[in-house]
Amino acid sequence: MDISLILGGWVAAGLTIFLFSFLYKDNPFFKATEHLYLGAGMGWVFQTVLFQTWIPKVWEPLTKQGDWTVLIPTVLGLTLVTQFFPRISWLSRYGFTFIMGYGSGLVIPLTISTDLLKQIGGTMAPFMVSEVTRGNILSLVNGAIIAVGFICVLFYFFFSVEHKGAVKKASNIGIYFLMLYFGAAFGNTVMGRFSLLYGRFDDLYKYSAPKYFYATHIILAVMVLYFIVDHFRTRKPSIEEEAA
Amino acid sequence: MKNIIEKILKIDRRLIFLALTILLVFPIVRPLGLPNKNIGNEVKALYEKIESLPAGSFIMLSLDYDPATRPELHPQAVAVVKHALRKDLRVMILTLNAGATGLIDEIGERIPKDIAPAKKYGTDYVILPYQPNPVAIMTQMGMDLYQIYDKDRDGAPLREMPVMKGIRNVKDMQLGMCITGTALLDYWVAYTGDKFKMPFAGGTTAVSQIGYAPYLQTGQLKGLIGGMKGAADYELLINAKEKGTAGLDALSLAHIMVIGLIVVANIMMFWLKYL
Repeated sequence: MDISLILGGWVAAGLTIFLFSFLYKDNPFFKATEHLYLGAGMGWVFQTVLFQTWIPKVWEPLTKQGDWTVLIPTVLGLTLVTQFFPRISWLSRYGFTFIMGYGSGLVIPLTISTDLLKQIGGTMAPFMVSEVTRGNILSLVNGAIIAVGFICVLFYFFFSVEHKGAVKKASNIGIYFLMLYFGAAFGNTVMGRFSLLYGRFDDLYKYSAPKYFYATHIILAVMVLYFIVDHFRTRKPSIEEEAA
Repeated sequence: MKNIIEKILKIDRRLIFLALTILLVFPIVRPLGLPNKNIGNEVKALYEKIESLPAGSFIMLSLDYDPATRPELHPQAVAVVKHALRKDLRVMILTLNAGATGLIDEIGERIPKDIAPAKKYGTDYVILPYQPNPVAIMTQMGMDLYQIYDKDRDGAPLREMPVMKGIRNVKDMQLGMCITGTALLDYWVAYTGDKFKMPFAGGTTAVSQIGYAPYLQTGQLKGLIGGMKGAADYELLINAKEKGTAGLDALSLAHIMVIGLIVVANIMMFWLKYL
């Protein structure tokens, strides 16, 4: 019998049920779990960074190989923490300056290339044919729809010209394309949320097995009992009861 | 009639939550096995891309998801790892998301058990440790990946492993793939796929799937798995049904319920307004 596995099952089932209990009513179990989530998440990230990055990348090169160059990025990184101490917070500018300069240099040219030039090229590519044939007619129609949508949506977001006449018509067509996008995105969002919910139910089912000593059943029963007791405890007395 | 409709429209929403719970839990307890007859073209494209790679080719998998998106993305990762190892490809798994390390450990434990028991760690696949600062990692991997990853997850020297033979940077790899619910896939496409001309594919949550359509059209992404449906499609293609396929029953029932509620509510509103 693996105690840690069983304990893990009880904790996972308990925290899931405590969070779902908010759908019925706000309660202290939900509040406690909400705070625990943030703390546990930060704790996990901290230990991962400490053991998988900081020790092998900074501590070991410094202590075992005597590589002092690792101190340069480490000190630059530590200057960011000085934000919490007003008297020396000016030091953080050095760290931020490095991040800004390095980040901008990397991001700006590649974003222009990946998200702007290639997308414009992709919109035009279907029309780069020498002649219209049966083979490429569907691709051309598809390309035309994309190009019309692309231009009309751009018109919708172009605010320097008053939206009237032809510009208004193009902008209105752009709205329909945007609505199609939002509809598809919303449908996918619903599917995504159901998948996540299914994942939790699947785990709860797993923890309801005898192997986990019926963790889900017992915690669920305790929560139901809590809500029944809470209902009678916080119930407002009726007028007749108050009069009596 | 008007009173009944008004009462129904003001129904306690917790009853809808309860109905949804029943619909999602029922297929877990008693699987229905509803058919999946619409495999996405972008999923098929990824499958065909991996199928076309000769044995010994090198795939880099960046699994950048955490427990919050596990139900959608973990089945995708398991299916792709299974397919790649079945095809005798070499697989390198890494993550740029600290929350993913536990989930990658889970895949690492499953490979010798049931994913690909014949495959050997260090010879056929390798798992790298978490590293922060994704953009720096991606750009460095285009030049010399050992500058960043000199050791594997367990501290063993990476360069000496047989799985890394002939691999110095991403240009030596035949395919890269990022499975994530964050914007890291965009970064991989820009900083590795486009910059170093590395064929790249993605796996995302259903929510972000639509946003990657332009990358598919331009060929910046060679394939895309979206959400649990995408995972189910991939499982079907490799004939290894797991969590993705099991979830489809629940998703189908839940969608039928939502569609039914939307239609009924609209008819009721129409009735109240016009009749």
